[in-house]
Amino acid sequence: MAQLFTPGADAIYRLALMTGVACLVGLPVLAAGIVRSNYVTGVGVAPAQPLPFSHKHHSGELGVDCRYCHTTVEKEATAGIPPTHTCMTCHSQIWTGSDMLKPVRDSYAQDKPLEWKRLNKLPQYVYYNHSVHVTKGIGCSTCHGDVTSMQMTYRANAFEMQFCLDCHRAPEKYVRTPDQVWNMNWKPPADQATLGPKLVAQYHIRGGARLTECGICHR
Amino acid sequence: MTGTPDLAALREKLSQGDGPRFWRSLDAVADSPEFRDYLAAEFPSASRLAAAPERRGFLKLMAASFALGGLTACGAGSGRDYEVPYVNQPERIVPGTDLSYASSALFDGFGNGVLVTTRNGRPLKIEGNPDHPWSRGGTDVLAQASVLGLYDPFRSQAVQHLGRPSSWAAFRADLQAQMPAWRENRGEGLALLTGPVTSPTLAAQIARLRAAYPALRWHVGAGASRDGLYEGARRAYGRPLETLPAFDRARTIVALDGDFLDLGPGQVGLSRRWIDARRAAYADGRLLTLHAAAPTPTLTSAKADHGVVVPAGRLDDLARDLLGMAGGGTGPGGDDPVARWTRGAGTALAGARGAGIVTAGLTASPDLHALVHRLNGALGNTGATLLHVEPAAEPGAGTLAELAEAMERGTVKALIVLGANPVYDAPGALDFAARMARVPLKIHAGLYYDETGAHADWHLPIAHPLESWGDVRALDGTVGLIQPTIAPLYNGRTLPQMLAFLAGGDEAEDALALVKARWRRDGEDEAAFEARFSEALRRGFWADSARPVETVALTQDAASPAPALPVGGIEVLIRPDPTLWDGTHADLAWLQELPKPLTKVVWENVVAVSPRLAEREGIATGDVLRIVAAGRAVEGPAWILPGQADDTVTLTLGYGRNVPDHLSRGLGYDAGPLRPVGASWRLSGATLTRTGRRSQPVTTQHLGTMEGEDLVRVQALGAAPVGDPKGAPAPASFYPPPGSQDRWVAAQWGMAIDLDACTGCNACVTACQAENNIPVVGREEVALGRWMGWLRIDRYYAGELDAPRTHFQPVPCMHCEQAPCELGCPVEATLHDSEGLNLQVYNRCVGTRTCQSYCPYKVRRFNYLDYSGGMTPVEQQQRNPEVTVRARGVMEKCTYCIQRITAARITSAKDAHAPIPDGAVETACQGACPTRAITFGNVADPGSHVSAARRDPREYALLGHLNTRPRTTYLAGLAPPAEPGGREG
Repeated sequence: MAQLFTPGADAIYRLALMTGVACLVGLPVLAAGIVRSNYVTGVGVAPAQPLPFSHKHHSGELGVDCRYCHTTVEKEATAGIPPTHTCMTCHSQIWTGSDMLKPVRDSYAQDKPLEWKRLNKLPQYVYYNHSVHVTKGIGCSTCHGDVTSMQMTYRANAFEMQFCLDCHRAPEKYVRTPDQVWNMNWKPPADQATLGPKLVAQYHIRGGARLTECGICHR
Repeated sequence: MTGTPDLAALREKLSQGDGPRFWRSLDAVADSPEFRDYLAAEFPSASRLAAAPERRGFLKLMAASFALGGLTACGAGSGRDYEVPYVNQPERIVPGTDLSYASSALFDGFGNGVLVTTRNGRPLKIEGNPDHPWSRGGTDVLAQASVLGLYDPFRSQAVQHLGRPSSWAAFRADLQAQMPAWRENRGEGLALLTGPVTSPTLAAQIARLRAAYPALRWHVGAGASRDGLYEGARRAYGRPLETLPAFDRARTIVALDGDFLDLGPGQVGLSRRWIDARRAAYADGRLLTLHAAAPTPTLTSAKADHGVVVPAGRLDDLARDLLGMAGGGTGPGGDDPVARWTRGAGTALAGARGAGIVTAGLTASPDLHALVHRLNGALGNTGATLLHVEPAAEPGAGTLAELAEAMERGTVKALIVLGANPVYDAPGALDFAARMARVPLKIHAGLYYDETGAHADWHLPIAHPLESWGDVRALDGTVGLIQPTIAPLYNGRTLPQMLAFLAGGDEAEDALALVKARWRRDGEDEAAFEARFSEALRRGFWADSARPVETVALTQDAASPAPALPVGGIEVLIRPDPTLWDGTHADLAWLQELPKPLTKVVWENVVAVSPRLAEREGIATGDVLRIVAAGRAVEGPAWILPGQADDTVTLTLGYGRNVPDHLSRGLGYDAGPLRPVGASWRLSGATLTRTGRRSQPVTTQHLGTMEGEDLVRVQALGAAPVGDPKGAPAPASFYPPPGSQDRWVAAQWGMAIDLDACTGCNACVTACQAENNIPVVGREEVALGRWMGWLRIDRYYAGELDAPRTHFQPVPCMHCEQAPCELGCPVEATLHDSEGLNLQVYNRCVGTRTCQSYCPYKVRRFNYLDYSGGMTPVEQQQRNPEVTVRARGVMEKCTYCIQRITAARITSAKDAHAPIPDGAVETACQGACPTRAITFGNVADPGSHVSAARRDPREYALLGHLNTRPRTTYLAGLAPPAEPGGREG
């Protein structure tokens, strides 16, 4: 009886076996990688906006305070997107003929709101409150990145649950003195290890166990 | 459930004391094996799968589940891809922040004070206005549901001419062409039909309109009018009067044929006054006893300390007996329950001269009202505990019957219907639709393109109260202002605008100016008026605008002969529906799916029959009955109602609507054909037959049946406390005491529910639905046991079958400290936080439903289908953005309104963790309750209201022996001291 398998059959078998194992391990890794990739999360991707507003220019170079436009960040859950009127406080005086600003002028003249592509989006079952974070020494850049260096604004973090939990588990690593909250280039100072716990106590930030309870963010 | 148990056997069982002390339904008393199986299955729909473990089917299902499991991740995006700021930010609207406006909720033309919570310019929720002198902070179900009414997609959205879409301009042109002719003949042949008008602005406008067209006839029609009350006062005092009981000065109350706790324009204010007085009496160690006699059970008779079932025809005799006792008589002899009750009530009244209250309900006959007035006069109660004021409704209007007659004669040339629906709600004998067809020009303005709209030449959409400027009087005459909280969604006009147009103005006239015009005093300085008006607007009402108390004198007793009703046969009682009232709001799904307080039936009305009648005629629940009286017939499914008078059937209004494509179409039966014309709510000599067909009513009365003892407790005055012993060490537990180890935790949340105060009115259930985005599931789903309410009100009967006592028990999540549900969850989707809240994490939940089966209180609800999906965009506007809209396949339950707790906690956190003040967190159910039965707060703070309630000796935990340590606890209802040999429930 002739041999059923050629000498190369073993190699093919081993190859198939290894491919199978590789797929079993690799595909989940690949899938996990894809869902975390910037392609999916949108981190670092600046989408086209109705007009090319530059945080770098306004906030970084001109030094306009965050709260000039995002007026409710210290009081309300949402930071607030400025109405066209806010843009026109300056741009009715300067760059009044700029082509780039035509959408702003049109919006104001026609009473039609600007529609910005949303960058930072939380799932519907997550409730975030800006005011309590800002008043408790969590700075803008911790979540939004160094906006003052963004020519076109992009999403700096993916805002997955892990991201929130890192801070809720160990707020002392991220907490800042009140004057540093608006500093977009903040880096933890050298004494953060001693300053952090002190600030946590000062701000009455509730301990890690309390802040990681589900009902803090989900309801 | 199925069939009907042997009623004679049940009666025997209950009277022998063999049955349960508290029972929820006849099936529960019968306790048949089928019923036990039904309860054990918990969800009848799931039992089919569980009962047949078939291998092939199981494998097929599992394969499909795995294959399709990933698809759920492929849903459409959330649609929040753009941020759209304002162009010019309005001054007070901060995106994402609540803004509250004081306004009034309308009830059949009467008003109650409310605060409308809006967000981003959308009204989301109605709260009571605690400063309003009449309603004092509570609301009723209609007020709670009115916010759904605003976004109702069934609302009329366009002007229609002969059933085709038209425009306001076309209507204006058409009418303005005819108006000169009207003016010329002084309005001859013009008829105006409105609902009850209490609004001073509308009243002034109608007066002006009548001045412009002196021959115009104004008629008022209401689905459930108060004409009987006013007619009774006319017979007693010679003029129509509203009677307001001052419960705080009373020592005993006698209610004939219900009403003061029942749904109605006075429910909120009266319930509050009643419970305040009852609480004050209890604090003094007394019981403000309520004696109630009723032919059909009502919420008022359900709260009676001494109740009796009396046929409607005997109520007058009973009142005469009481009158005799007030004059020193000894009362009726005999040992039947009615005689015993009469002697008890009469003695109590005679012992409290000048401090008693006798009231008769909305549906009592004018004769009975007149008798009650004379009785109160004889007892010296009039002017002491019973105050009379002029009716809030504007007098001087004709009735619906007069209008129908005029139409029949052909004298009506143009009929203008403003905010009424006579084609549906007029009594059948008036044959309104056919007579209306004889009118050459018919104009209908209403919220809905309803039956009357379909019969009219012109239909005009009117603005919802939440879109309108206006004013309205409460039952005591207090003038509340109505202010818009959103621009009209469908270009509707307000009633003042419509009247201004008819008087020769513009229909788009500034509605605010019309209201202001009514209130500006002659020659008043503009700035002073604006200040006065703004202040009234801020408060929601004109201060001290209640009607002054009138001094009354009884007229000579011109004993009008009672109308000779046919003797014998079945007596038919017509009642407004306890959730829909007269059917004006029948398209509101919240009201349709709200279990009726006593039957717990949803999505339809039933024909209530007494157990004895059912026994005699062989009627089972669900048998379709045909009731014929005066040549007209109504057919509806039977419901055997304990506490119903023997040969009496009760029909309710509000159903049997027939507007194409509307939600309400085809639900229930229309009782209209049998309705007597005029102020009467009953007819005798009817015949009842079984049609042989069956239509099982869908009810929630078995849902959430708990296994255990002492679910409802009753504290007889002077008896040993029935509450749980205080100060006893907590029973041993395997688990560490929760919440005690974290020094940061400021509050431990808990709730106390006073069963003595709960009247079963359902306001809390609807408020919870509005606040927490609770979906409506529909009749078929409810029949499968999938009703979604987070808060249910259990109704228990106690005592004998034919005249039981009734108890209500609201059951939200107990937030057990040792929660059984948490042990069952494989993914920790339900767990505790350090403030004692039993959390439900929707995004973790995988839908095993184990928690539900572990929950001894049966308060968890599962989203079997995507109930919240597929809502129209306009309905989605109502959703509370602070609460997750739950997806298919997740469990949900009461959260103690965690969104409100969070808001208070964040405020306190920003304020250096100042303690959250007691009362800063008010749950939705608590806020809506007219009797303040629900107290919520921090149980760790001994000074809080809820801690005080928990110290009450009446306080007890539901199923406390399970050692679940519920945070929601109850205060036992009160009962009079047990009489020797008397039965106490």
